[in-house]
Amino acid sequence: MPRQEEDASVPRGTIRTCIHCALLALLLGGAHSWAQNTRPGDHETVEQLVQQIKQLQQQDLDLQARIKILEGQQQATRVTEADTASPPAPPQDAEKAPPPQEAPQHDWKDLRGMQWRGFGEFNYKVLDQRQPELGTDGFVPGSAGNFYSGDFDLFISARMSDKSSVVAEVAFGELDHQTFSVDLERFLVHYEFSDYFKMSFGRYQTGISYFNTEFRSAKFLLTTADRPLVAQFADEGGLLPTQAVGVSITGLVPSGKLGMNYLFEYGSSDTVRPDINGSGEVNDENNGNHINVGFFIRPEAFSGLQIGGSFYHDKVSNSTVPSPVRIDQTIVNAHVVYVAHGIEFLNEGFLLRHWPENSSITFNTPAFYSQFSKRFAHIRPFFRYQYANANIQNLFFEDVGLRYGPSFGARYDFSDSIAFKAQLDHTVRKDQPDLNGLQMQIAFAF
Amino acid sequence: MMRSTAILLLTSLLGPALAQISYAQNSPAQDQDVAVVVNPKNPVIDITKSELRKIFAGEKRTWPRGVSIKLIVRVPGSYERVVLLRLLGMSESEYKQYWIAEVFHGDAQAEPVALFSNGMQKEAIGAFPGAIALVTPGDVKPGMKVLKVDGHSPGEPGYPVH
Repeated sequence: MPRQEEDASVPRGTIRTCIHCALLALLLGGAHSWAQNTRPGDHETVEQLVQQIKQLQQQDLDLQARIKILEGQQQATRVTEADTASPPAPPQDAEKAPPPQEAPQHDWKDLRGMQWRGFGEFNYKVLDQRQPELGTDGFVPGSAGNFYSGDFDLFISARMSDKSSVVAEVAFGELDHQTFSVDLERFLVHYEFSDYFKMSFGRYQTGISYFNTEFRSAKFLLTTADRPLVAQFADEGGLLPTQAVGVSITGLVPSGKLGMNYLFEYGSSDTVRPDINGSGEVNDENNGNHINVGFFIRPEAFSGLQIGGSFYHDKVSNSTVPSPVRIDQTIVNAHVVYVAHGIEFLNEGFLLRHWPENSSITFNTPAFYSQFSKRFAHIRPFFRYQYANANIQNLFFEDVGLRYGPSFGARYDFSDSIAFKAQLDHTVRKDQPDLNGLQMQIAFAF
Repeated sequence: MMRSTAILLLTSLLGPALAQISYAQNSPAQDQDVAVVVNPKNPVIDITKSELRKIFAGEKRTWPRGVSIKLIVRVPGSYERVVLLRLLGMSESEYKQYWIAEVFHGDAQAEPVALFSNGMQKEAIGAFPGAIALVTPGDVKPGMKVLKVDGHSPGEPGYPVH
């Protein structure tokens, strides 16, 4: 009988196998059906999970590599230092925490090598007036419109010690006929005694305006496609002595919640400025040593607000004219700026005063710009209005005259390091036709 | 066609912002305090929130005794990073562009060191005498000194870093 039961059990095994097969089929079918019926939201969830798994796998690999490095170093050195100065951790965490271990100090080193950064741009510009103005950055004035590459900046910095470093910036600028010039924009040895006293020696960009201090020469850092005329670099027709060689001292002033900072510069500008009216003339200002003193505050109560000003003085003489006269040059600047929460609101005014020695004549050149922009995700629309009014009898700014007008456009950030800008300009010029322009620019950092 | 293009454009523009909002709403640690930790040898015991913002913005770069401040931050995606950006009032993209500008000004040598884990932050805090980092209180370990901010410790009412 048992044998028979055993014989009778053979079919039961077959049945079990059939049941298993059926269950497997049901499971597979169900899974297949689930896969077919998943909603788009489920797909996104699965994709997110896959992404998270990939991230975790990457982190795991990183950690494993790190553990191997640490193990290797511990075996090599076998050095353990007791840290008697370490106070205990907060009581609430000390219970959970593992026994104290000294961090492997030899594993963390400050980089002392050279750090490289690059900034570049490609531009397209068109003006509605064929009468040429100054062409800079490779733009050919008088043409219907053309592409040009502008400046290509290589920025190098290197730390020499905890408190000293070297900064250098080399710009390759496009000239006419697609030739290129090389300019050492900055070359500075920097030493920080403390937050209250920082010194730099070398070729620097003067702290004569907020714009010159904040944006330097990389177009990528600008919201707009170009600088306002008054803050344009002197070798591109700007009105200010934007670069100099000398010493610059900056730092905090103990002022509590006012957040006051100071700036002191003493150096030689030796500004060479081409006329912007297309005359082709160049003014070599042959400056004497200048002094520039500035202050600004960043009140704690209004994060993002900066209010400041500067006073600049030197003596200039146009060495390109026969028997040049020494001229006292004084430039007073004031700015009110708010940059926070995606808002950029820049307002800066200047008074450039030129007084020829042994003369009763004084030429005053007022200028200002106001710029507002607001970031919406990747897009930052902007509006700028600028004004400059120079006496045409002023030997240095006879090409400028009265100019004013708005610019507006938008900057779109493709990523954290590539931006596209489009800008329309309308400039009213005294005794000349209005000038309208369109600029498009791709600016990038790497 | 136009409609789908417009939807695509809107999605690409608003996507990151919505993702950020979604993260902020769904994060279980949304309002959790974050401790400000420094090297144990650092004599500072209390700072203001304003000073903390200046430190992480690179505006204040030395401790009172002249030791250079070394900023240690977490990589994007961590809660400490969210709190850091909240402290500075910046988005992730603005933060990256801000540090590109700081380095280019010559004011900073490099962007702050961004680390994958709080364990690595602990190592870095121990290695650099001037180091400062943000760490969730649960990850504070021996070898880290927790600073008071505006006179409050993490977990106390009025603590401003969260």
